[in-house]
Amino acid sequence: MAANWAERISAFSRSQSRFLCGTTAEDFLGELLHELRDDRASFAVKVLLLSPLCDHPSLLCPSDVVGEETALELMSVLDQCPPKSVQFRCQLLVALTTVLVCTSCVGIRSRASRDFLDLLLQMVQDTGDLRGDDGLRSTRATACDCLRELEACSPGLLAQRLELLGGLRQRETSRLHQAYAGLHTLVLRNAVYRLAQDTGASGEHLKALLEGNTWVAELDSGRMNDGDCSDALSSLTLGPMGTVPTLQTGPDCKELRSVLSSLLEESYLLTPLCQAALLHRLTEVVSMVPGVPPAVFRAQLLRLLGTSEVCLLHATLLLKCAFTDSLFSAEDEAFVLQRLVVLSQHPLLSAAEKLFYIDCLLHFPENRPIGCGADGDEALPVLLTPRLASALAPTVFDDGATGLARLNLLSLVYQEEVEGGEGEESRGLAYLYQHLSSLLRIVANGGGRELVVTSFRAAFLFLFYFCHVGRYCRSLTEELCQLYLRHGHLAPHVINLADRVQEKLPESNWAVGFLRALQGVITNAPPTCLTSRYLGFHLKTLARVAEEGEITQHRTIHFLSAVIAAPTLSLCTSGAWRLGNGLLAVCRRLLVHPTLDSLFIPLADVLLHLTRCYGDTDIQDHARLYYTLLTTLSREKLAGVLAAEGGRRVKKRSLSCIVGESEGLTSALTIHRTEKLIIGLTEVRSKPDDGTRDDGVGEMKQTFPAEAHAALEEYRAQFDDPGFASQVAITYRLTHIDDDPRFDQLFSICLHFSLTDDHYEELADVSVPRLLRRGAAPEVTLRLKPRQPQPTTLDASAIFTAEDGLTWFTVLPQVHVAFRQAFAPLPAPRAWGRGGGPVLFEGLWGEISGEDQADCATSLFCSQLKEGALSALVDEHLLPFLISERSKEDEFRVLFFLPPRAHVLLRIRPGEPAQFHIATDDWRLLGHLNSYLLTITSSQGDAPL
Amino acid sequence: MCQYALQVYHILPDRRFATVEHRAKSLAGSSYVAVPEDNSVLQLLLTELGLSDSDKDYVALRDDCLHRQRSPALELCVDGPGKGILWPVLAISHGPLTLACLPIVDAPAEPRPPLASLLSVSQGLTLLAGLQTFLLGSGGKPDNEGLSVRLAMLPSLLLQVCPLGTPLDVPISGAPAPSAVPTPVGSQKQPFWKTGLHRGRAVVNVALKETVRSMQYGNRSRQDLWDVYGTVTCKCEVEGVLPNVTVTLTLPPNGSPLQDILVHPCVTSLDSCILSASSVDNCDSSAFSGPYKFPFSPPLEPFRLCSYTSQVPVPPILGSYQLREEENQLSVSISLKLHESVKNSFEYCEAHMPFFNRDQMGVVEVKVSSGQMDVSKEKNLLVWALGQKFPKSREVSMEGKISFSGPMAGPTDPICTGLTAYIKLYFKVPDMTLSGCCVDQHSVQVYSSAKPRIMTCRELQSKEYFIWNSSGTAPMSSGQMML
Repeated sequence: MAANWAERISAFSRSQSRFLCGTTAEDFLGELLHELRDDRASFAVKVLLLSPLCDHPSLLCPSDVVGEETALELMSVLDQCPPKSVQFRCQLLVALTTVLVCTSCVGIRSRASRDFLDLLLQMVQDTGDLRGDDGLRSTRATACDCLRELEACSPGLLAQRLELLGGLRQRETSRLHQAYAGLHTLVLRNAVYRLAQDTGASGEHLKALLEGNTWVAELDSGRMNDGDCSDALSSLTLGPMGTVPTLQTGPDCKELRSVLSSLLEESYLLTPLCQAALLHRLTEVVSMVPGVPPAVFRAQLLRLLGTSEVCLLHATLLLKCAFTDSLFSAEDEAFVLQRLVVLSQHPLLSAAEKLFYIDCLLHFPENRPIGCGADGDEALPVLLTPRLASALAPTVFDDGATGLARLNLLSLVYQEEVEGGEGEESRGLAYLYQHLSSLLRIVANGGGRELVVTSFRAAFLFLFYFCHVGRYCRSLTEELCQLYLRHGHLAPHVINLADRVQEKLPESNWAVGFLRALQGVITNAPPTCLTSRYLGFHLKTLARVAEEGEITQHRTIHFLSAVIAAPTLSLCTSGAWRLGNGLLAVCRRLLVHPTLDSLFIPLADVLLHLTRCYGDTDIQDHARLYYTLLTTLSREKLAGVLAAEGGRRVKKRSLSCIVGESEGLTSALTIHRTEKLIIGLTEVRSKPDDGTRDDGVGEMKQTFPAEAHAALEEYRAQFDDPGFASQVAITYRLTHIDDDPRFDQLFSICLHFSLTDDHYEELADVSVPRLLRRGAAPEVTLRLKPRQPQPTTLDASAIFTAEDGLTWFTVLPQVHVAFRQAFAPLPAPRAWGRGGGPVLFEGLWGEISGEDQADCATSLFCSQLKEGALSALVDEHLLPFLISERSKEDEFRVLFFLPPRAHVLLRIRPGEPAQFHIATDDWRLLGHLNSYLLTITSSQGDAPL
Repeated sequence: MCQYALQVYHILPDRRFATVEHRAKSLAGSSYVAVPEDNSVLQLLLTELGLSDSDKDYVALRDDCLHRQRSPALELCVDGPGKGILWPVLAISHGPLTLACLPIVDAPAEPRPPLASLLSVSQGLTLLAGLQTFLLGSGGKPDNEGLSVRLAMLPSLLLQVCPLGTPLDVPISGAPAPSAVPTPVGSQKQPFWKTGLHRGRAVVNVALKETVRSMQYGNRSRQDLWDVYGTVTCKCEVEGVLPNVTVTLTLPPNGSPLQDILVHPCVTSLDSCILSASSVDNCDSSAFSGPYKFPFSPPLEPFRLCSYTSQVPVPPILGSYQLREEENQLSVSISLKLHESVKNSFEYCEAHMPFFNRDQMGVVEVKVSSGQMDVSKEKNLLVWALGQKFPKSREVSMEGKISFSGPMAGPTDPICTGLTAYIKLYFKVPDMTLSGCCVDQHSVQVYSSAKPRIMTCRELQSKEYFIWNSSGTAPMSSGQMML
């Protein structure tokens, strides 16, 4: 079992998501807690069981409720745990702290968290066992650490206990006083911070806190909300840029001073890590209380400045940053700087430490900084003279990061010198260039990958600082070209360098010059000495060169012609797909090059040659496409089709992008998907006409069978034609529902609908030529062909072209087809004119109510509508389907035809109540009809069904 | 306060400190980037460190020339370039072990604060270095068995030194002295770094070790370089909670001052003049030149009391190396001269002559005036063992011809091409220092009742001691002289 747990816990910590595929967090937590309570499990396993709770508490306890329950469970486990299993007890305390903090139980001061806090306070005060069993002591230390973490996460939590904690710290003489000192310092810092934030607070409040006077509890009512304590969590930004809240006290501030000096005096007894933290916290305290002079730190300074510990020296630098010349004289400052230079290259320090010190040099806290550069910017301290900095000159023996850090620092130093008038003559600059060129020489002699990367980074740094120094830049171009010619595999680095220089130094034209030079060296090399491996790299580079409109491309195109014709390479017969793509990539960029006109014929020749002779069909096809594009499209259109949108660095990954040749083209050729809904359909409720639909025959000639049976027969005969009256047309308006300006103008919109049930036949796509945001909304008529006249929902989507020329796919909100929308007017034979309706109505009515036919049904619906309301209802909803004369108000006869063949007939008689006699030849419709009638009678109109 | 998502990669999963992540989240607000699961962090870190895909010439995420790999803090792009960035990731590698941590940024996240303003960064570096020393052992040579034993101890160790993400201490490497006993409670506070008390006779052991580095070019236009640094290591077994010990370093008359002195945190006080001399500054001859007193209260385990650098007027061994191409072979001529101030009594002294970018050595015809010449098994290195003593003349030489007609190609090196070649000297001289610095047994003061036993020793050893072929080009090894 134990081994099993070890495996499971390690699987959990490797990947929680994968682990939780097999179980739930809840179950896993349950298992953990169960096992923790199990007496048979060993404590070694139990310690292990706590690690998921320590590492991922929020995953296992997703809410404060679960957190609270878990914490209560853990506390009961702690209660049962024998005092001698120290490690488990400590780990339990840590787990409890973690769970309570991370589930915000501490933030909301939940019951469990208050109990836990009391327990911890009890533990840290329990110094009864003076014999000093080491185990008990370490539980006590852990309790202190837990309290410190609770205070760190909820600043101010322990402010009221300041005096208690101070006393405990002073009385503790064992090694454990370190834990008490850490706790006391943090609580002090947070308490002072809170008082400083409180405009009403004064030195008296601080004194009271330090002396443990109870009335400060009043202050505590303004307890900081855990949610917005991020300011208190943040370390104070000290120094000239920082603003620090201050607490005005009297000039003596005795109590605080005595606490500070006792803490500082004993700081020597702490580990360097704890000393550094303590110093930093006390620095913050003193900078918030102007009544205490920074000189309290003076006694520690020499010891700190001589230290070999990086964190102690760092804390000292932060001290300097906070108090500048009120603690450090100009002499001290020069000394500290010198010390940093020494440490930045000290043979006994690790590379990481040295890098850190170089970073500290570039952010040196000067006593009187000249100008305050934006935060985070690197700047040279005034005292860092070229002489002093020369100790940090880069050499080829440095490891990559160190060499670059040194080059960067020295570049800053000599930038001033170069700008100061020495220009190209600067010796420092000459040295840096020499260093760079030694690096490149080593690369040329086969330096490894890391060296290559370092050299190109060094080249970038050099250009970044000195791109205006023509002589060196020209010679760098030359050296890089020679290097590239020998080592074509550096193509990606070379291209990356050109890209970055162009991007970061837009005012410099070094990159273009460099690319031009690269074009020169590549095209001058006789194709006979090209291997196919290098050819691939060269094509990559030439493709990049061809992106520059300023560079003429004749050499490139001649190179391509020569390459495809070169018998030694036998490119065409080999039909290498990758190389073919490389060739096409160059061609593609030439197609959009501004000097295309002058390249037209040779480019067409190359493409034609590839189309005919290249031994790979895919390449042939692409070449043919390009050839066709070149020879048929105008320049503008060609650019439109091929130009990549949003600059070439924006690349959408898609399958067709893996080939360099089609990058950019793919975004023009693939369909993009909108992130949001952008268009939608809204129904157009046609104005109820008065039923005088002009059926083309007019009033003049109305011949219809007077006899109902005959009329029915003639009517039914129409349905022999399968397409007859089988559709319902519903009109919608297509509108924008989002205000993304990219989609202001949409063209060639193709709407596609799909069914969610089988009541209707599949719908045909609908095309809309354009949709302009400021234009009239186009109407879209859906022709639904019901199988069953039932309400339904349609999924809708659209493909369109936007202004940017790209094709987009978007989803529209679902379209709901209501029952009423399936109604069609009676499809009586056209020749009948209006008179035929009543005859047919009577015929149908008789048939439905007369015999006991299969699907037929009659029904009655009653409503309390008054006479006036009833006729309004008819006007509003039923007019198109009214068979009787509108003026005949004693009985309205209404006939809904529901394609394909269903009929609903209504005789509506006013009265108390108004009666709707219903007859239908499809009883399945009665339910929908009932809700329809309910809707129109109750809401009088506008509510759609 | 640090957020230490500590990763001991290749071997161990990480330790996350959820409360620190909780704080980081409320500090960073909307710009908070959650630490992804172990395997993805691992992947990102290995890519960044060049440990995965190392066979690929160019990986955009890793090799972009804009990438700022000149800072000790790495950036890991969590969801692709420019999106979520984990910063500042500190990582140190040694042999099979890579340790990394992510310190909390307890300052406004935008704009990104300078590293130098985050105390958590130096604390992180300290913790990582401490863990590395513990895991690899102080010997520096990783042994896999010991490593896995120590790795297994790591979780319980972390509970002690970094229980909730704030590092309190670094693990002590090496067991404390066996005679240590738990402290009785007294009025004097016990330092945290003292794990117990010593009982028994007081023994103080002070070892002074100087290391000399050199780059010699044998060229008028190129100044030869050498430097010396020393470390003083102590092991003190002294009774008392906070016993006082003072070690004094003295220089001979006219000795050049000790520079760049760094001291252990247990040193209780320092005289400002001790720190005044610096290697990067013009030192005036009137500068303080000792005696250098270091009062301290020792921990139980051995520790490095202090270190210094020194500028000595001459290198201990001055060499000249001439390598010439002659038809199908190289002609070699070497001479080494031991300076008269150096004690002619070595523990060992060897000169190594590696050859790169050539075939294996074929015929080696060399004559040495002293010592013994060996060809390495791989036939790409000549080892000239000089033994314990230089001859009376203090000069040795070697002449000869070497042909490279071996059946296989030797090792390659991008720096040592053509006639760019070097000899590297390895030597150790017991009981001497170049600077003349020494710890007099009688100057060690221990304030204790019993008379302490005091042992001191000193030695000089070489490191990176190169003599370049004067007839070839040699790379610059320091800009200081040029500038």
